[in-house]
Amino acid sequence: MKIAVCVKHAVDETELKLDQSGKPLLQGAAGKMSTFDKNAVEEGLRLKATHSGEVVIFMVGTADSKKTLKEALAMGADRGVLVIADPITIDTYRTAELLSAAIKPGGFDVVLCSEGSSDTYSGQVPPMLGELLGLPYVGFARKMEVKGQSAIIERSLEDSVEVVEAPLPLVTSVVSEINEPRYPTLIQIMQASKKQLEELTGDKLSPPGSHRQATVTSMSSQPSIRKHVVMEGTPDEAATKLVEALTKEGVLK
Amino acid sequence: MFYPENHEDYSQVLESLGSFMEKEILPVSPKLDSGEASIEKPRKALFDQGMALIPFPAEYGGLRLPFSVYANAVELLGTADASIALSVEIHNAVAEGIKRFGSNEQRRKYLSNVISGKTLASFALTEPASGSDAGIMATSAEKKGGEFVINGSKMFITNAGEADLYLVFAKTRKGPSCFLLEAPNPGLKFGGDIKKLGMKGSKTSEVILTDCRVPEGNLVGEEGKGADYAKEILHGARIVVAALNVGIAQIAYDKAISYAKSRKAFGKSISEFQLIREKIADMKTGISAGRLLYFYASKIREMGADYASEASQAKVFATEMSLKACDDAIQMHGGYGYTTDDLHRHWRDARLLTIGEGTSEVLRLLIARRELARSQ
Repeated sequence: MKIAVCVKHAVDETELKLDQSGKPLLQGAAGKMSTFDKNAVEEGLRLKATHSGEVVIFMVGTADSKKTLKEALAMGADRGVLVIADPITIDTYRTAELLSAAIKPGGFDVVLCSEGSSDTYSGQVPPMLGELLGLPYVGFARKMEVKGQSAIIERSLEDSVEVVEAPLPLVTSVVSEINEPRYPTLIQIMQASKKQLEELTGDKLSPPGSHRQATVTSMSSQPSIRKHVVMEGTPDEAATKLVEALTKEGVLK
Repeated sequence: MFYPENHEDYSQVLESLGSFMEKEILPVSPKLDSGEASIEKPRKALFDQGMALIPFPAEYGGLRLPFSVYANAVELLGTADASIALSVEIHNAVAEGIKRFGSNEQRRKYLSNVISGKTLASFALTEPASGSDAGIMATSAEKKGGEFVINGSKMFITNAGEADLYLVFAKTRKGPSCFLLEAPNPGLKFGGDIKKLGMKGSKTSEVILTDCRVPEGNLVGEEGKGADYAKEILHGARIVVAALNVGIAQIAYDKAISYAKSRKAFGKSISEFQLIREKIADMKTGISAGRLLYFYASKIREMGADYASEASQAKVFATEMSLKACDDAIQMHGGYGYTTDDLHRHWRDARLLTIGEGTSEVLRLLIARRELARSQ
């Protein structure tokens, strides 16, 4: 089985700094593998373990983001493909376009993405990728099984679970409940450097088309608004009121 | 995390280990201190990650990375949990002894299993009546038939009772010698776990040797050279202990900074008060200095030069610095500092290492002796 996994070198939100107006300082910000992409890589490795084959990692990014690809290789992927382009300056459609151009020639059976990146969380690339590759897209997979030429996927929706059977090849996005990503051992990390890592220039691979690029006009942190509800009474009375309030909010069931 | 060289592989190894420790070791650390959790599972998980492989040769399954990378990894572990760091550091000191002084047969038989963590090791030198003056050890080893018969006892031994392999120092006719003792052994018994001020996650007990027989082939190196071997092993261990204590200071500092920013007094954050800022500055400077000292000692060792003085300097400085940093962290937390286990345990953990593996007093004498000799 040939498995493609798309990963992103996302901004590390724990290290992100804001300017005085609350705008995130993205240029030069520390990066890391997008959190849920690890679940996508893990799922790819599990499919390989069951069906044998190859797991190839695809990423759109700059040369200094290679460590994210290497992390995926350390987890156990076989090789990686880096499409050189600056993810800060291109929109999600262009990202999907570049990934599609890199993935298409490979004849993959399954293309795995995560539900959304841990920095911008647009969730747009996986369905765009499905469309550009001309493949079915089944998103928000919390469980996936491949049997013959079909995949049976449990989709985690807001208030329900939908079970879908779809023919291979397909594109899917996974949610974090699908698996527990493995930690690469130090031996695997050292061996990752020896695995094949191909670099492709984005604009040569897929010359920019005529679509008008979406531009982000503003980005700022959202202040958290607290309700400041005070539960009065004795500790027992306050506790009862708190439980009632939390149940009403849907926090407790 | 800080590694002062721009090397992608080393950074990836350390970042991955750091991430693992943050998620899998740090959360269990308070429970190791309180006795609600035990060390075996997290230590095994670390061994499975490959922590103990870092500085050892590839022919035994090691990663053959520079000693400074290993020391940095122990710093990260000291931040995550000092008890596990102590246990792993002692275990690896035995591996170092086997690598440097063991025969080919001993390396072949033991080294891979020790550095993979399949065999847990323990370093048994200190006795009830001899610590710094290890040369007067009472434990004896008599050659009888193709064996050595060991009698005596060792005290304050880390990993005792759990370990599969002990590096035991005992006096033969030729002087202090060094033996590899596999457990279980009919002549090997242990006292109960000794209650300690800190490092509560790691097991520490007395090792009692009564007609304990080891094959002659388990003598390490030359008979009578055990004291030299112990000294050499401890030089390397002191760099690692320095790193461990920098790790302890780091977590105490992180908690202090976080508290200082959030705690208010007299209408403002206490982080705005000058005397709090003085502590922050001193803590951070001490951590940076300690870190650079253990890197410096590591680099001299990597170059193959004599590093005993530098290793001792790093240990003396970092262990004393970490106590001050932990004490300042307690002070900054006020009443909460004195009453919160999850804070004062760092001071309690740090308190061991101005004593263990070379007291600050003895090491100052070593440093002065070596530096006077160098200056001639």
